[in-house]
Order: sequence, then structure tokens, then C-alpha cells
Amino acid sequence: MSEVINLQDKIKTELLDISSAINEIVESYKKLHSPLIETKENVPKATEQLDKISEQTEAATHRMLDTAELITQREDEVITGLNKIKQFVQDKEYNSINEQCDELAQKASDNSNDAFVIMDALQFQDITSQQIDHAVVLLEELGLKLHKILTVIGGSEHADGNQPTNSSKKRAFDPHADLFDKKTDQTAIDSMFSKK
Amino acid sequence: MNKTILVVDDSPTVVKFVSFSLKNKGFNVVTACDGMDAVEKISNMSEKVDLVITDLNMPNLDGYGLIDTLRHNDQFADTPIIILTSEEEEEDKQKGVQVGADSYLVKPFKPAVLVSEVEKYLK
Repeated sequence: MSEVINLQDKIKTELLDISSAINEIVESYKKLHSPLIETKENVPKATEQLDKISEQTEAATHRMLDTAELITQREDEVITGLNKIKQFVQDKEYNSINEQCDELAQKASDNSNDAFVIMDALQFQDITSQQIDHAVVLLEELGLKLHKILTVIGGSEHADGNQPTNSSKKRAFDPHADLFDKKTDQTAIDSMFSKK
Repeated sequence: MNKTILVVDDSPTVVKFVSFSLKNKGFNVVTACDGMDAVEKISNMSEKVDLVITDLNMPNLDGYGLIDTLRHNDQFADTPIIILTSEEEEEDKQKGVQVGADSYLVKPFKPAVLVSEVEKYLK
């Protein structure tokens, strides 16, 4: 009879140990669940931002290159035009000189406008730097979550000294900044502000 | 005498582009890299600021904080303030109205649109 009781006690102790182990696993799982979900969500967000940066940088660069090509082309035309003026002076064709000067003035004006087009396209830098800041913050958060997971899985030795930190740069950005996907109706905004 | 515009943005690219667009039209431009810098600059300035163009997302003091600070200062209570931001949410525009901005432009912007908006207030 006492042997049966001893056996029961042993089984009870074993079961308590198993139960405690299961509880620990459940607690660890609970601790891991949230960082894992957030990690799962942050990776595609960071990837999406990096894809946007690449796409928008390329589009802006093409726009600038196309405009620079137009400016260069006009510069060649200006040189040709100046040579024509020299010839008109020699030939005393003063009416043609006037016409040629008007043409050159127009080309200078077009080049000035195109300089603005290039500066306008350079605004991509402001938008993509906000997208990069967003991606950096997501990746830093990812580092912290992975650290948390490693700490839970591997014990305290993973927490020693290698805690990832957020970069020191102060970041203020719009996570939705986009160069092309504009949903703004300026007239509606103006109307909203005129009512104030 | 040329009118003076304060341009506040933490992006040097935007500050440069806005300044270039405005100087090209004959305006004086003073720049600041965030709201705090703007508050410091205007408190040390002898000349009058005729208009303020400000971003919203900035470190130290954001655009809303700057507008609120300016609106509580008698000297800037009626100064036209234009928000220039990449934020497009309705909530941001509403907040802009609430803090006392006069206008709201979304980045990326066209220089002609910005200049026309500025001229609307500085005729």
C-alpha cells in the first residue's frame, strides 16, 4: 500500500514538473508571440518603403536626365545661333539679327524654366529621405524584437551587452510620404482654410 | 522694400528649393531648420517677418508647435502662415486650421503654386 502511495507521490511530482514546464513554455510563447507578429509585419513594410525609394529615385533621375539633355541641346542651338549672328553682322542683315536674338532669348528662357524642372524633380530627396527614415525605424524596431526573442529562447546570456539601440539621429518624418501617389485636391484644402 | 519670408523645414533640399523660388521673385528669405530654431531666429531678428512657410514633421518643435507659439505672440498673431508638408491626411489639415495656419500646400510642390500662394497674402 505504501509503495502505491509513494508511486502516486512520484507521479504527482512528475506531473507537477511537467505542468510547470508547460506553463513556462506557454509564458515564453506569449512573450514571443507579440514580437514575432510585429516582426512579421515590419519586414514587408520596410521592404515596401525600400522598393518605393528605388522606384521614385529612378523616375526622378530619368526626369532630370531628360531635362538636362534638353538644356544641352538648346545650348548647342545657342552656339549655332551666335555664329549665325556673326554672319548676319558681316552680311549687314540687321532684320535677321533681331529675329535670331529673339530666338536666343526664348531658348535662354526655356533653359531657365527647365532648371526649375530639375529642382522640382530634386524634391524626391526630401520624400525619399522620409521613406528611408521610416524604413530605418522599422528595422531598428525589428532589431529590438529579435533581441527580445533571442533573450526568451536563449536565456539571459543573449541579453548581455548586445542590446540593440535606436540610432541617435532625431527622426521626424511622414511614414506615408510619396512622390507620386497624391490624393490632394488643393481647391478642397483652400476651401477648408478659407472657412477658418 | 522687399517682403521677408521665414522658411522652416528640416530638409535642406526643401529649404534650398523654396528659397530659390522665392528669391527669384524678389522676396527676402530667412531660413530655420526646425520650429525651435525658427523661434530663436525670429526673437533675435530686427526686421519684420511678413509671412511664414513651415513644414509639419520636424524634430525639437514641429510645425503645429511653431504655429501655436507664433499665434500666441502679438507680433505674429496676424502674420500669414503657410504649411508646406507631405502629410495629406484630413486630420492634419484640420489640425492646421485649428492651430491658425492660413494655407496648406502638399509636397512635392510646384514653385509657381507656392509663389502664387505667397503673393496672395503679400500683395
